[in-house]
Amino acid sequence: MQTKDFKVVNKSVTKIDAMSLALGKPSYVADFKPEDTLYVKMLWSPHAHARITSIDISAAEKMPGVAGVLYHGNVPRVPHCTAGQGYPEPSPYDTFMFDTKVRYVGDRVAAVAAESPEIAEAAVKAIKVEYELLEPVLSIDAALKEGAPIIHDEPDCSIPIPVPYEPEKNIVARLGMEAGDFDAGMAAADFTFDHDYETPYAQHCPMETYVAMAQMDARDRLVITSSTQVPFHTRRLLALTLQIPVRRIRVIKPRIGGAFGSKQEFLLEDVIGMFALRTRRTVFWQFDRQENFRTGRTRHPIRFRIRSGVKKDGAITAMGMDAVSNTGAYGGHGLTVIGCCGSKVLPLYHCDNIHFDTKVVYTNLPVGGAYRGFGATQAFFAVEQQMDMMAEAIGMDPIAFRQRNHIKVGESSPVFAALGEGKEGVPMTIGSCGLGECITQGADAIDWSRYTPHTEKTGRYRRGLGMCCLMQGSSVPLIDMGSAHIKMNDDGSFNLHIGATDLGTGSDTILGQIAAEQLGVGIDKMIVYSSDTDMTPFDVGAYASSTTYLSGEATRKAAEKVFNQICQVGAEMLDLPVEEVVSEDEEIRAKDGSGSVSYADIALYSLYEKNQFQIQDTASHITHKSPPPFAAHFVEIEVDTFTGHVKLLKYVATVDCGTAINPKLAEGQTEGGVMNGISYALTEEYLFDEKGKMTNASLQHYHIFSLRDKPEMKTILVPSYEDTGPFGAKSVSEICINGAAPAIGNAIYNAIGVRMYSFPFTRERVWNAMREQGFARKS
Amino acid sequence: MKLCDFVRPRSIEEARRYLHDLGPGGIPIAGGTALHFLLDEKPVTAVDITRMGLDGITEIPGGYRIGATTPLADIQAYRAERWAFHEVCRRLATHQVRNISTLGGNICRVFPWADLPVALIALNATMVIRGDHEIKMSCDEYFQSQPARLFKNGDLLVAVEVPALGPHMGFGYKKEVKTSKGFSLMTGAAVLTLKDGVVQNARVAAGGAAPFPCRLPRVEEALKGNKAESEGFKSAVASGIDNINWKGREGLTDDYAQHLAGVVLCDVLERALTFAKERS
Repeated sequence: MQTKDFKVVNKSVTKIDAMSLALGKPSYVADFKPEDTLYVKMLWSPHAHARITSIDISAAEKMPGVAGVLYHGNVPRVPHCTAGQGYPEPSPYDTFMFDTKVRYVGDRVAAVAAESPEIAEAAVKAIKVEYELLEPVLSIDAALKEGAPIIHDEPDCSIPIPVPYEPEKNIVARLGMEAGDFDAGMAAADFTFDHDYETPYAQHCPMETYVAMAQMDARDRLVITSSTQVPFHTRRLLALTLQIPVRRIRVIKPRIGGAFGSKQEFLLEDVIGMFALRTRRTVFWQFDRQENFRTGRTRHPIRFRIRSGVKKDGAITAMGMDAVSNTGAYGGHGLTVIGCCGSKVLPLYHCDNIHFDTKVVYTNLPVGGAYRGFGATQAFFAVEQQMDMMAEAIGMDPIAFRQRNHIKVGESSPVFAALGEGKEGVPMTIGSCGLGECITQGADAIDWSRYTPHTEKTGRYRRGLGMCCLMQGSSVPLIDMGSAHIKMNDDGSFNLHIGATDLGTGSDTILGQIAAEQLGVGIDKMIVYSSDTDMTPFDVGAYASSTTYLSGEATRKAAEKVFNQICQVGAEMLDLPVEEVVSEDEEIRAKDGSGSVSYADIALYSLYEKNQFQIQDTASHITHKSPPPFAAHFVEIEVDTFTGHVKLLKYVATVDCGTAINPKLAEGQTEGGVMNGISYALTEEYLFDEKGKMTNASLQHYHIFSLRDKPEMKTILVPSYEDTGPFGAKSVSEICINGAAPAIGNAIYNAIGVRMYSFPFTRERVWNAMREQGFARKS
Repeated sequence: MKLCDFVRPRSIEEARRYLHDLGPGGIPIAGGTALHFLLDEKPVTAVDITRMGLDGITEIPGGYRIGATTPLADIQAYRAERWAFHEVCRRLATHQVRNISTLGGNICRVFPWADLPVALIALNATMVIRGDHEIKMSCDEYFQSQPARLFKNGDLLVAVEVPALGPHMGFGYKKEVKTSKGFSLMTGAAVLTLKDGVVQNARVAAGGAAPFPCRLPRVEEALKGNKAESEGFKSAVASGIDNINWKGREGLTDDYAQHLAGVVLCDVLERALTFAKERS
């Protein structure tokens, strides 16, 4: 591992926005709402699958205080996607601002803008709609059944990239790859395994629900202030749906109150934009919690079949993943999420014979989207449990089995080249990997020496240890691009303008640290602004674990260019060649000690005195690889064998994110992601009635973990140095959510000898599994 | 419930007059945390009853009197001889809610997941109601159906009297939840009176998984006169709960709810036994 003597990077500086948030200063979209705002309320579909045969908005339109009503009859019909991904999008254009068909409970029917939320609500109730009910498709099996109702039967849906798209079969995407000879690998194994797994729906549950505001500025441009992870994609999609030029749109992202992937989506801006264009008024729309659950995006439920083979010596001879993902009513991130089930999971262990075959199907259920972990979360649940099964079969400790097989520095996987996002991937050799050390340190922290097989456990309450290994990526190589602009001010401070979007992660802070390190100044000299499509350079946005690695390197490159300019001007002021000066303590000094000028002097000189110009520069960056962060998670649980209740006792999360630019924030990301993962594993559950309506769409009935549920938790950062990342950094944000379900699943098996093939691990699900698998209670 | 007006009487009589005159258009309010669950959108006037001296816990002969507007956090913090009710409040909602949510608010309008009624039934509490006169009502009668029925004329619950636990008595309580702030999936409570290891008297109650908090007389009868031991508990519970229409909440099936009820009730009996042994 390469070590550096960093001054700002790798230090836990305080988040630059911490004080303003703590003091409740205006930060979020709703904080900027003027008094004369129109409020939007939506009439949502009460049916999972229906055709709108008539709609009467006349009563609503006439109500005092109503400024407008939108429905399919008075807006342009423009096929588009809502997923905020690169262009052309790897997503079907299967969505319309309003359509004559509704495809899930919570789909749009008509929108009202009014002087108050109450008036808008009343007007929504005054809209009369008649539906022709269609048979709803409420499961993967129902979607794939011969003669199943076609959810997207409209002729104008299509996909803008050359990949299979078969809406007539309810199939959104197919994706697969083969490496080596899978069948031969299975035949060569001493033990083979073939198991089905299923992962559930989940919602991101950010504190701030979806929210956006539209205004017309003095030059008749549409200004959108939105809690979005993807301001530039939003601008592009908005121009498409409203049929106006990009140049007429400005998207501002203020502080985001949490997103976790949910706001990599374009769900509000078209409606408020259309209302603003028509009324010339400020238009505000925020989902309530129920809308966030029903209409907001979710984690794709996925069904897996995992086949694998292993030799007695621990060599994995074959690994096969067949998967079917339920994307709900719209295709959005269906293709890219299922791709990451393979690309972010299968390379983790050596195996020459790999099979990957997947499809994504439409159903009349809530829509899947981007969610932290992005397919890897689902796939690791299946693969990491199967890893434990293989280890048990050959009599090898699960840790030793993983240490033997995991990918290491200098190694590659055919999966990297085969699976990209919407196209082939990029070949990659691992340049940094601290996974071995993650496993070792994590095992020590949980005291793995206590690991004993379930057969030796007795009593009502049985404890189990479980672990898993994980990887993710850092940006999407040769697709994602980030940019940064830095300019120097009179006092030697710097404006850093970045398109990257801090969604609560602290990326404004860490990008400021990266720039400060490169410039040789303290973080207090950095004024960071993100993101605004008029004022900041382009960035794809905050997703795919890209901000630190991708936008961070763009920032570092811009800072390097600015630093060179500072050195040039400083040398000129000292009347020395640039080779004869050094930077230290925010000064440019002659190497021989004959003189020095401060950064502030240099700024003033360049702005006012001689050879005037502003010291500033811009850099863009694309990545040629997606270096994985690695992690090993360990958990200790206790199962009440009378009820099936799983109690979490201790969680250890280790992570190799390269250089942690801000260790405290990296730890915070990890703890938050782990808590989210635990919640997903144990309690979060979308419950539906027989007609496809979610019945627990509130935080009262959809159970997420809070601090009071937090088990004893230890986070260990295991540094490595990724040469291609800014100051050795890789990503940290997503990987941490992937471990809880497989680690707890393995721990349940270790406690009671019962294998869980689906979750959440509720009392009843565990209890049923105990009965189905013949759990024999010993005293 | 849509609050459209707010009054703050200074005495019980003034509050009763308001509530009487307002009829269905008035609602007594203390902590107000339960309003969220009242989905009716009819406009009502809130009659604040928190400034009438109805809060606080005092010792009375044979037990404790808890004012109706005593915050749950105060009950949680209270300690005394032969008192165990604080344990129940500790497991209820969040600390923030317990700071404002009151005993009376929790038991004047009972939701299926309510915890306090279950414990009060087991503890054989007495309800003190102020109408034209002050009357005392057994918890069995009070919780026979929705208590809100008792307050239609502006009458108010002013206090709850909880008997002290005798030296050979034990109290057991258990609540199953999904997360720490979650509502009860199943709540059980029991008070056992023992003599020479034999159950002399038992009061056993359940909620959460039951349609409405209820006493379980068949379980109690099966316990009485038998040795206080695990096998006896199991058989008493097994034989005494199948007449209840157990209801699975939060995605649980009814069948599992019944299973869970059985386990929880056995657990609370064990806890009551341990409690009694430790105090004898």
